[in-house]
Amino acid sequence: MKERFYTAVAERQVTTQLASGLRVVIVPRPTYHETYAMLSVDYGSIDTTYVPLGASEKVQDPEGIAHFLEHKLFEKADHDAFDLFGATGASANAFTGATRTSFLFSATDQIDENLKTLLDFVQDPYFSEATVNKEKGIIGQEIMMYQDDPGWRLYFGILGNLYPTHPVRNDVTGSVESIAAITPDLLYRAYRTFYQPGNMTLTVVGNVDPQHVIELAEADQAARTIAPYQAPIRPVSFDGDLAAILPYRAATLPLVRPKSIVGIKGTTPVDDDLVGTKYAITVRLLLEMLFGDSSPLYQSWYDAGIVDDSFDFDFTAQRTYNYATLGGDATDASALSEALTAVIAKGADQPLLEEARFARIKHAALGKYYQSLNSLEQVANQVSDQSFGPIGLFDLADVMQAITLADLQAAASQFFRLDAVSVFHILPEVDA
Amino acid sequence: MSIALASGVHLSVLPTTQFKTVRIELHFLAPLDVSTFSARTLLTSMLETSTAAYPTQIALSAELERLFGASFGIGVAKEGQWHRVTATLTLVNDQFSGEGTLAAGFALLNEVLNHPLITAGQFDQGVLARERENLALYLESMAEDRQLQASLATQALYFGGESGQGVPSFGTPEGARAVDNAALLSAYQQLLTRDQIELVVLGDVDQAQVEALASTLAFAPRPELSVPFVVDTPLRETVQAQTEEAPVNQAKLNLAYHVAAPTSGPAFYAAMVAEELFGGSPLSFLFTNVREKASLAYYASSSLDPYRHFMMVQTGIDTADRDRVEALIDTQLTAVQRGDFSDDLLANIKAGLLSARLAAYDTPRFLARQALLDRLASGHHSDFAAFKAGIAAVDRAQVQEAAAGMTLQSRYFMGGEELS
Repeated sequence: MKERFYTAVAERQVTTQLASGLRVVIVPRPTYHETYAMLSVDYGSIDTTYVPLGASEKVQDPEGIAHFLEHKLFEKADHDAFDLFGATGASANAFTGATRTSFLFSATDQIDENLKTLLDFVQDPYFSEATVNKEKGIIGQEIMMYQDDPGWRLYFGILGNLYPTHPVRNDVTGSVESIAAITPDLLYRAYRTFYQPGNMTLTVVGNVDPQHVIELAEADQAARTIAPYQAPIRPVSFDGDLAAILPYRAATLPLVRPKSIVGIKGTTPVDDDLVGTKYAITVRLLLEMLFGDSSPLYQSWYDAGIVDDSFDFDFTAQRTYNYATLGGDATDASALSEALTAVIAKGADQPLLEEARFARIKHAALGKYYQSLNSLEQVANQVSDQSFGPIGLFDLADVMQAITLADLQAAASQFFRLDAVSVFHILPEVDA
Repeated sequence: MSIALASGVHLSVLPTTQFKTVRIELHFLAPLDVSTFSARTLLTSMLETSTAAYPTQIALSAELERLFGASFGIGVAKEGQWHRVTATLTLVNDQFSGEGTLAAGFALLNEVLNHPLITAGQFDQGVLARERENLALYLESMAEDRQLQASLATQALYFGGESGQGVPSFGTPEGARAVDNAALLSAYQQLLTRDQIELVVLGDVDQAQVEALASTLAFAPRPELSVPFVVDTPLRETVQAQTEEAPVNQAKLNLAYHVAAPTSGPAFYAAMVAEELFGGSPLSFLFTNVREKASLAYYASSSLDPYRHFMMVQTGIDTADRDRVEALIDTQLTAVQRGDFSDDLLANIKAGLLSARLAAYDTPRFLARQALLDRLASGHHSDFAAFKAGIAAVDRAQVQEAAAGMTLQSRYFMGGEELS
């Protein structure tokens, strides 16, 4: 058990790895009423190609299987885990991303009971033909709902451009056609491979005694038969291939405002170690310097009607890929993407990178980071996300402080390349 | 605790060391008047964009950056029969910033609200033209969010599309385009001199210091609002129906109900339990029977607005299932009215309400909201003990009675192309 107090943020974090391989991270918050607990699996929508546990050949699962599995774990032969949480007044939820599946509850009472329920329902799968087929109806509705969401379509449009051959291009939910192929056997096979304790993290944030939580998790693991951990074999490797990029696509939808998004594909892996974490924050600060609210460039585009308040940008670094997206609603979708592309094409030659404003932007980013620590949910999500690497959430203030303008210039030089750029537009349908 | 800084200007300070931030909310309240919604909304965009000392967005954003990345925004909403404009500023505690951000934060609020960019009695015409167009385009684009569009259409149907309750608090695209400089100035004068003001400050602060800082805003005395807060719409004898055709993959079926329950006392708590049991939680009838068992919807839930005596059910479904879903929703409300639920389920529903409520006390937003409701809603109790006692006392018969007071009034459907 490792315990650290982080003076700069006034936070305590306790971390351990149990004999089963399960990681446990606890952030005590004695002044809070709520406890937020999350069990995360290093498995997401991109993990459709893998070598099943005990096999030697790789297999190809239907798109959307990780999300389907997440839904299906709640339902057991004779009860639903939702009801067990509900009996204590707790609320439960789950979500699936490209590389992570997370199950969580929030409770103010009977924390032990709820922790046991969480550990139990995730580690005790039950899939039958009937329940799997019924779930196809519910998830089919979810897929339909996302199809009506232009923001979702824009996001997966640009991912499809940047990653035509990498599975991150696929909707997390899969499609109505792909999930039709899901069977209990496929779910069990993926479950056995990825839901090993060594591939999972339990995160608890709230009014708890860390030692007690660890003992509870240890007792849970000791009561189960757990084989030695075998790390899942995932043949999908890092995709930094610029030649594969589709430079431009457009779609038409029944919408009011055209949407324009620009993607930049990262060409080198960004890991969750110190170097990678620092690089990811550096790129975010770089984007803020060039395109943020206090940027003269942003102001000139705003005044010219090229962008509006919907304009946003982000940098994402995950297992096997990293990219930035920039865009929003635009009266003239091409004008926005051309303006963005022209800035990126200049590489490291960015006159807006100057010291005085950089000091201010870094100062503000640090303030936003402190603000984010109020929310147990945000703390749990971020702590959990970083639980597989050596840099934790509460290290980030120090990492951020160490970044210099020269780091931003180096990142611009490495990341801003015209051949790494792609554009996706969604345009309103024109009535015939 | 709340004090009057002047007639019609009140300050509530909530000292707490639980959070790393200080939250300041400045509410401006006026009687609900649909003709003012657009100007009040556009005014928030103008005030957020520039001030006399910070005449550009860059300058104002830079000041927020200097304030250790303070978060700032101005928005509009409805509170019963009142229209509310709220400026919210979140500052990092001095403990972490190592600076006196609280005083600087009040100075910024003073600048934004008391010294907007008005030259020769006019807002800047260029900024006005741009913000007006952006607002109109934004309001038009809200139609792209089908669930939101359906929700707004359901409220318009229930309350009447031209009424203050039926029109959204942020107005309409046409309304936004019609706002001129004179209307904007008039909205600003109303806000500054006649709106009732509620200032809420929450965080690691000292009452006396906040009082001193708040008084620097120097808001003039004004009459206290005398309009009642609560809205009640007379019961209709027949159910209204509206069907809209839209190119959607997932259809939306929404139902609006009149809720008879009062806004305080035992029957108020009973209505909260009845609504939670009907469709407010994952344990509810709508979630378990419409979504889970019948597999007919991705979402199916209810929400209660007690101060408007209003409840709405929202569902996302297949167009072909419309009649089945509607019948099934009706069956669920009947089940609550008849008492067709176990004691265990009732106990779990109550436990869920209590747990969610207690967890909400961990968020600055909820705590600040309670301070506002303490000022606006008579009989409101912001402390958890009162809420817990109220919920605990609700019995089966009271739940049935509260559900019997939920009457279907409006039915809204947005469906795909297969409609005739």
